[in-house]
Amino acid sequence: MIKRIFDWLKQPLGLIAVGIAVLALFSLAAYGIYTTQQPPEQPIQFPHQTHVAFGIQCLYCHPGAAKGPAAGIPSQAKCWGCHNQIAKTQTSLLLAPLKDAVTSGTPIEWVPVAQVPDFVQFNHRAHIAAGKNCEDCHGDMSKVTIAQNPQVFNMGWCLNCHVETAGQDHEKLVKLSDCGTCHY
Amino acid sequence: MSEQFSRRDFLKLAGVGAATTAILTGCGPASRYVKREPYMQMPEYNYNGQSTYYATTCRECAAGCGLVVRTSQGRAIKTEGNANHPLNLGKTCARGQATLQGLYNPDRVTNPMKRASRGADSTQAMDWEAAIQAVADALKNNKPEEIAFLMGMAPDHLFDLVTDLAKATGMNAPVRFGALGMFDARATLSKAAENLFGQASLPFFDVGGAQVVFSFGANFLETWLSPVSYTRGFAGLREAQTKQRGKFVQFESRMSMTGGKADEWLPLRPGTEALVALAIGRLAAEILGGSMPRVFASVDPKDAATKSGIKLETLEHLAEMFASSNGALAIPGGAALGQSNGLAVAEAVLALNALSGNFGKPGGVYLSALAPNQTEYNRPASAREMQALVQNMFDGKIKVLFVHGVNPLFELPASLEFGGASKYVSQIISFASFPDETAREADFIFPDHHGLESWGYQRVATGSAQPVLSGAQPVVSPYYNTRATADVLIAAAQLAGGSFAAALPFKDEVEFLQSKIASLMSEADGSISGPDIATFMAYFQQHGGYWKLTDGRGAPSAEDMLNRTIAAEEAEFAGEGEFFFVPFVSPTLAEAGANKPWLQELADPTTTVMWNTWVEMNSETAHELGIENDDMVKIVSEAGELEAPVYVYPAIRPDTIAMPFGQGHTAFGRYAEGRGVNPADLLGSHFNEAGDLAFAGMKVKVTKTGEKKLLSRLESVMGVYGIGLGEEK
Amino acid sequence: MATLADLKISEVKLSEEQTGKWGMVIDQDICTGCQACVAACAMENNLSFVGEVDSGYGRSMHWIRIERFWEGAYPEVKMTPNQPMMCQQCGSAPCEPVCPAYATMHSQAEQLNLQVYNRCVGTRYCANNCPYQVRSFNWRDYERPEPLSNQLNPDVTVRRRGVMEKCTFCIQRIHKAQDKAKSEGREVVDGEFTTACAQACPANAITFGRVDDPESLVSQLAHRGHGVKHLEELGALPSVTYFKGG
Repeated sequence: MIKRIFDWLKQPLGLIAVGIAVLALFSLAAYGIYTTQQPPEQPIQFPHQTHVAFGIQCLYCHPGAAKGPAAGIPSQAKCWGCHNQIAKTQTSLLLAPLKDAVTSGTPIEWVPVAQVPDFVQFNHRAHIAAGKNCEDCHGDMSKVTIAQNPQVFNMGWCLNCHVETAGQDHEKLVKLSDCGTCHY
Repeated sequence: MSEQFSRRDFLKLAGVGAATTAILTGCGPASRYVKREPYMQMPEYNYNGQSTYYATTCRECAAGCGLVVRTSQGRAIKTEGNANHPLNLGKTCARGQATLQGLYNPDRVTNPMKRASRGADSTQAMDWEAAIQAVADALKNNKPEEIAFLMGMAPDHLFDLVTDLAKATGMNAPVRFGALGMFDARATLSKAAENLFGQASLPFFDVGGAQVVFSFGANFLETWLSPVSYTRGFAGLREAQTKQRGKFVQFESRMSMTGGKADEWLPLRPGTEALVALAIGRLAAEILGGSMPRVFASVDPKDAATKSGIKLETLEHLAEMFASSNGALAIPGGAALGQSNGLAVAEAVLALNALSGNFGKPGGVYLSALAPNQTEYNRPASAREMQALVQNMFDGKIKVLFVHGVNPLFELPASLEFGGASKYVSQIISFASFPDETAREADFIFPDHHGLESWGYQRVATGSAQPVLSGAQPVVSPYYNTRATADVLIAAAQLAGGSFAAALPFKDEVEFLQSKIASLMSEADGSISGPDIATFMAYFQQHGGYWKLTDGRGAPSAEDMLNRTIAAEEAEFAGEGEFFFVPFVSPTLAEAGANKPWLQELADPTTTVMWNTWVEMNSETAHELGIENDDMVKIVSEAGELEAPVYVYPAIRPDTIAMPFGQGHTAFGRYAEGRGVNPADLLGSHFNEAGDLAFAGMKVKVTKTGEKKLLSRLESVMGVYGIGLGEEK
Repeated sequence: MATLADLKISEVKLSEEQTGKWGMVIDQDICTGCQACVAACAMENNLSFVGEVDSGYGRSMHWIRIERFWEGAYPEVKMTPNQPMMCQQCGSAPCEPVCPAYATMHSQAEQLNLQVYNRCVGTRYCANNCPYQVRSFNWRDYERPEPLSNQLNPDVTVRRRGVMEKCTFCIQRIHKAQDKAKSEGREVVDGEFTTACAQACPANAITFGRVDDPESLVSQLAHRGHGVKHLEELGALPSVTYFKGG
């Protein structure tokens, strides 16, 4: 039975069929890879640029960045603190999920965009303390709706900046290029 | 492979299949992104990624150590000792560390439930309204004297609540019991203190201040009374910086973890502890000169040497060590007291302290400090008192039994027949957090919160110089649909009305707690004080409790102690057989650790065995009987029989075998169930004068079965080069 | 500007010249063998439990274990002083040069032996070359049924199958203390933090701290005189000093 299928595949029509199958497989793979590069679906199409345009500082909503490892997502109470007083909140379709979440007391499930793998121990505080600005890594938020990564967070990119920052300071270079600084 | 379909073709197809699967499933967006839920309302002091720390009390045993639990994003991450807590000064034992594996145990009871029939697996979930109604009905529809409460050993707020309820309504006073109390022989210690000092109390032995410590069976570095505190004491004994390094001598038939630290380990014949203590007393008194105290006068050291198997020269040398030291301390405990003559052993050993003159002095014997809101020592029930409860159950005098914090079907010896008696009780309501053996035989399970999710306080019974009332608060919100038993009882009492409602006029557990600690608010010498109860309660929770800043220990009066007579007879042993049987509490698992996987995976300190039960047998004896490591043996006592693999142990008397208590669960979750055996099944119902079980007073027969069960142990790696676990050689 | 390549050359020193940074002193005379340190380590560092069969094969993931040996024969039998054994954070570690993937690196900044999980390919050369036998290998993805994962420490990577792991001297605590001190503009104070094992130990048998600071408690203890280093003759320069006791 199987032998007959193989024989059939070896004749011209069969080869074309195989070709189509391979092509389909490749397109599927390409689509798969493409999807991994897309920003994920968010529960709310959060307009960063609008908030930045109002003059809200990054650290107002993400205060953890200056204090510890995680920048954090603001609590719903914090969102509501302002939005409660904005008439548009009640009618806006975009803001309906926020209204629902606050009134029903259910958390919004955000999908964090800027992530490092599990085996990297990243600390925001040290970077802010070293004089880095948020946009150095996260891009200019006054231009985007949903946050996007302007670059892939990989180790080469981290290390380039670490080495540059250390400059001629040997002690600093030792610390900033040590495996144990990020991996444990 | 068939003719039509070659191996090569198969590999080709398989390769394409694997690649497709990898592409379609491996790199999808789902594997890259996670979901994150924000706080609804973040506390002002917090921000994402910051840990918060809460002080509470450890509930893994009844000692009452203070904990500080690190939490992150509403999850408990790590337990540490509370550095300010006078009992444990920031330290914990292994069980305290693993308490999180109880909190997040996959086998917790998640809902209030009704069991279709006792012992059945099928249960029906209930809501809490129905549960509270069921408790109220049980209280209301039975005569108060037909209602009994069986509780864990800890002297906590729930015990106080039930005691108040019982006093007001005529219900049976709650009975506190735990296997640790039984193996500690607490009733014997307390009775000895009553006989000798005129006051029932848990004596406190200041190991840290002593120069020489003689311990008769007390496993004080393992599970005895307050292990963290006693371990600190031991470190003090050894600390050689400020004083001479203290000496430690242990008398026991099987080397315990505690005995392993001794400078001299003396394997005396079980049952001769009292004789040996008195003989050492006599010889020491001779060295000290003066008239011979009456208590030691009647003992003949030569006779004691013969009977105990310790050479006379050794006894003389020990007496010399005891007499010449200016800080000698003798501790009775553990298996030495769990024999028919246990009370005499306790008295004889305390008499040694009288000779040393160390009562109420550093390095000596004290009466434990009573907790700040306590007026007299209230010990847990002895096994004989449990037998009385069981008898009442058999006689149908008890219609409703509430069980909280204890697992009598596992912890009580089977020979006491709690299981049989429970059939005569019309309703058993368990408040267990875990599906343990007793909960399986209960009609209802109304699960309490885990200790880390609960409010409360607990009196520290012993181990601290200062009187301590340890405070507990929830460090995380309850993970499952559980409810505090105190809340359930308060609500049910309100529903039941009458004297029940009058006895517990509280809104909830916290209000009850406040009513109980309010009197401490403005007392002098307190660690905290507050202008009003809300503030005081906040401090109480923040600091992990309330303690006096003064030494609350009592000095026993030593009058007449040396003029008594103590019957120095040898212990009697029940049953027939060639071996003395010594059950001991597993230092890592204790009585309720078996459901925590990391406690199972800790190596036993003496044998390094993990995850199972073993029988310790002397190397020579094993050789004579043709028994090797991992050979299964059948042990028969007068009360029962069981089979377990042998661990050939160099530090046990040739005429003795020993087994750890802690395994052998038939319920209690996936990590405990069906693992090892329970030595309590071998224990008969014999008691000493104080009512403690004579658990070390058995003789047993041992036969080789021919089977093998390979024990998993840290000290040797089997398996890798041939022999696998569970396989034959 | 310095580059990484420069760093490698300038950092090559004779191992004897290296002082080490973090160290421990363990008093075996007061260690009771109670396993509190082992449990504390497991809870702090997200260690997997492997079950009865795998632990029987010697695959348990203890980053610290307590060794005891027997001396003499009954009735004069003695248990030798309990010996807590963990990664000795060698100054010249035998595990490091054998790693083909550079996963077992020496931290120049903290003077610790690192295990970089994302680089580890699981050759197990390091474990075989470790004279102290303190490395454990993830033979499987060990099961951690829900909700047990709630207790995972977010500061420590959860390891998967095929990766070697070992004691890190609680490097996450070192970093946290350093980060805190830096944010407050000061140096880390001796005793400000300690490892999970030392923190739990009821007998206070374990002391942790800076061995390159002569004022620290651990240095004071280490120079008390009767301390020994295990297998010192191998020249691995271990950072843990033991007091044998007795």
